[in-house]
Amino acid sequence: MPIDTSEIERLAKILEHSGIASIEIEENGQSLKLVMEDTQPSVRPPSLVPTALPGDAAVIVKADVAGIFVAAHPWRAKPFVEPGQCIEAGAVVGLVKIGLLYAPVLSPATGFVDAIIAETGATVGYGSPIVSVQATA
Amino acid sequence: MNAPTLPRISLLGTTALLFEAPGTFDLTHQRRIWAMAATASKWPGIREAIPGITNLMLTFETPPRSVDALVLALREGWDEAQEIAIEGRDIELPVTYGGEIGASLQSVADHTGLSIDDVVSIHAAPLYTVFALGSHPGYCYLGGMDPRIAMPRRQTPLQRAAGGSVSIGGSQTGVSASPGPSGWHAIGHTTWTFFDPSWSVPAALAPGDTIRFKIERVIR
Amino acid sequence: MIEILSVRGPASIQDLGRLDQYRFGVGTSGAMDDLALRAGNILVGNDENAAGIEIPMMPFKVRFCRDMAFALTGADVEATLGGHAIPPWWKLHACAGDVLDLRAMTRGARTYITVAGGIDVPVVLGSRSTQLRGEFGGLHGRSLLPGDILPCAAPSIPGYIGELGTEPADIALARPNTPAGDITVRVVIAGEYDAYDGAAQDLFWSSSWKVTPQSNRYGYRLQGPPVKSIAPIEKRSHGIVPGVIQVPPNGQPIIQMRDAQTSGGYPKMATVIGADLWRVGQSGLGGKLRFEQTSYADALAAHDEVSHYLNRLRTSVRLFEEMRRCR
Repeated sequence: MPIDTSEIERLAKILEHSGIASIEIEENGQSLKLVMEDTQPSVRPPSLVPTALPGDAAVIVKADVAGIFVAAHPWRAKPFVEPGQCIEAGAVVGLVKIGLLYAPVLSPATGFVDAIIAETGATVGYGSPIVSVQATA
Repeated sequence: MNAPTLPRISLLGTTALLFEAPGTFDLTHQRRIWAMAATASKWPGIREAIPGITNLMLTFETPPRSVDALVLALREGWDEAQEIAIEGRDIELPVTYGGEIGASLQSVADHTGLSIDDVVSIHAAPLYTVFALGSHPGYCYLGGMDPRIAMPRRQTPLQRAAGGSVSIGGSQTGVSASPGPSGWHAIGHTTWTFFDPSWSVPAALAPGDTIRFKIERVIR
Repeated sequence: MIEILSVRGPASIQDLGRLDQYRFGVGTSGAMDDLALRAGNILVGNDENAAGIEIPMMPFKVRFCRDMAFALTGADVEATLGGHAIPPWWKLHACAGDVLDLRAMTRGARTYITVAGGIDVPVVLGSRSTQLRGEFGGLHGRSLLPGDILPCAAPSIPGYIGELGTEPADIALARPNTPAGDITVRVVIAGEYDAYDGAAQDLFWSSSWKVTPQSNRYGYRLQGPPVKSIAPIEKRSHGIVPGVIQVPPNGQPIIQMRDAQTSGGYPKMATVIGADLWRVGQSGLGGKLRFEQTSYADALAAHDEVSHYLNRLRTSVRLFEEMRRCR
C-alpha cells in the first residue's frame, strides 16, 4: 500500500514540532525522506527532545502517602518537572503535602516525563497516579 | 541627668523586665540594687537578676502570664532593700592615656574646657567601685567618676572601639574587655585581661570590687 | 565531619544561645533565625538546641566526610548536592565525599545547615554558639574559614528514612497583608516611648524602615525619617536584650540583635517580640521593616503560636518517619 499524502502531512507536522532535521521511512519497498528546510534556527536542539523508542516502558509514578498534591514548591515558580523533561531515577517529580510536611514523590525510573497526571491542589492517596514517565533505562 | 523620684518599671518585650531606681547615681543606691538583685534572683520564674547603674534587669525563664505580681514585688522589694556592703578586691589598673586608642581625649578636653593633663588626673584620682558588669564579656561599669569630665554619648555609635579602651559615656566611665561597637569616648587603654571563659567565674571583676587607675603614660 | 570548602562572609556555628550569662556581660549569641534552626533540627531528629551552621552570604560550599542526614532551612538558596538540586526547607542524605554547593540567596538573609547529631564543638558557658566579641564558643570563637573541619556527633536515631520537606516558616506563620516588600514585626513599647511626642511616635509606626549595610549580628541599623525625642535623653546604663530598638540622638533606630551588647544607655522606643525576631533575622540589606504595636498579652499569644507550630512539626516528623520505618 503506498504511503498516502495525509500520512506525509502528519509526518511532516511531527517533524516540524520535533526539532529533528529529517526522518526517513522504509516500508514495503518504498522509502520516504522528509527534510526540514533550515528557515530559522531551531529553538531547542534535537537532543533535548526525547523520542519514544519501541521497547520503552511507560511508568506511572504513584503517591505512596495520602495528602494534597503540589506540582511546584511554594517558593518556586516552576514545577518540579515538565513534560519532555529528562529525569533520573530518584528525582523528585512533585510533593504530597500532609499538614506541615512535604513528602516527595520520587520517580523509580530514569527517562523522560510524559505527562503530569495529578493536579496541584488535588487530594491524592496511596497509589494515586501522579506523573507518567517513559523509562529509557 | 534626669533623676526620677519613683521607680520606673518597664518591659523589654516578653524577655525581661527593667527596674530603674529613683535617686542619684551613687554607691548608696547601687548597694540597694545589689540587695534587690540577690533577693530577686531567687524569685520563681526569674532566670537572672542583673544589676545595671542604679537599675536591675530581670530575665524570665518563661514569660509570666501577667507581670503585675512581679511589678508589685519589685516596688515592695525596693522599699525594703537595705544597702549591702560587698567585700570586693582592690585592683590597680595601669593606663596609657591618649594615643591612637584614647583618641577622644582631646574631644573630652575640648567639651569640658579642661586641659588634657587635668582630664587625665581627674579621671585617675578616684577609687572607683565596680557597680555592675554588662555590655560585653567582662566589661565593668564603674561608679565614682568626677562629673567635671562627663561627656554625653556619641550621636552615632562607633562601629569598632578597641579592646582595653578606657572610655567616658555620660557621667560614667568603664574599660572595654574586647573590641566592638561603642557609643562612648575612648580616652586611654589598658592591657589587663578582664574575661576568660575557662575560669570558674569567667569575669575577672565583680560588683563591689574597687579600681584605681594608675597613669602609665600620657600621649598628647 | 564536614569540611568547609569555600565561604564568603561571616558564617558561624550557632545553637539557640547562652541565656543565663548576662551578669558577666555575655549576651545570648545564637541563631538570628531561631525558628529555622529549630525546624532544621527537628527535620534531622535532633534536639532543637543542637548546633548548626548559620550562613549569611553565598556562595558556600562544604564536603561531607562521612554519610549523614542533613537539612537546609532559612533563606531560599540555589542548592545542589552532588549536582542534584535541593528544594527549600528540606532534609536529605549525604554520602561521604558529597559536596553541598550553595549559590545565590534568592529570598531571606540566612540559611541554616543542620546535621543529624549536631555540630559537635565544645560547650562553653552552656552553649555551642559563637561569641564573636569574646572570641569563644562555636569553632574557636570565630567565623568559618575554608579548610575548617567541623566535628559532627552521632545521631540519636541511627538510620536514614528518606527525603522530607516542610512548609517554610514564612508560609506556616504568614502574617496578614503588609505593603509589598515590607516585613512587619510586632513590638512592645519600651521605657522611653513616652519621651517622644505624637508626631515622632507616628513616624516610628508609619515609616518603612530600610535595613542599611551597617546591619549585622550585633544590630540592624535602620534608615528613615529621624525620630527625635522631646528633649535629649541620657540614660544610665541598663540591661537590654535582643529585639530592643534603641534610638540614638541621630534619630535612626537600631534593633539590637543576637550579638548586641548586654546593656546600653540610648533611649528605647520598643522591643521586637521574641516570636518575631526571626523575621528581622531574615531581612536582607536593603529590606524594609515596619513596626506594629503589640500588647504584652498578644506578644505571649504570638510566642504560644510559635511553640504550637514547632510542636506540630515535631509530632508530624516523628509520626511520618515512624510510618516510613514500618514500610
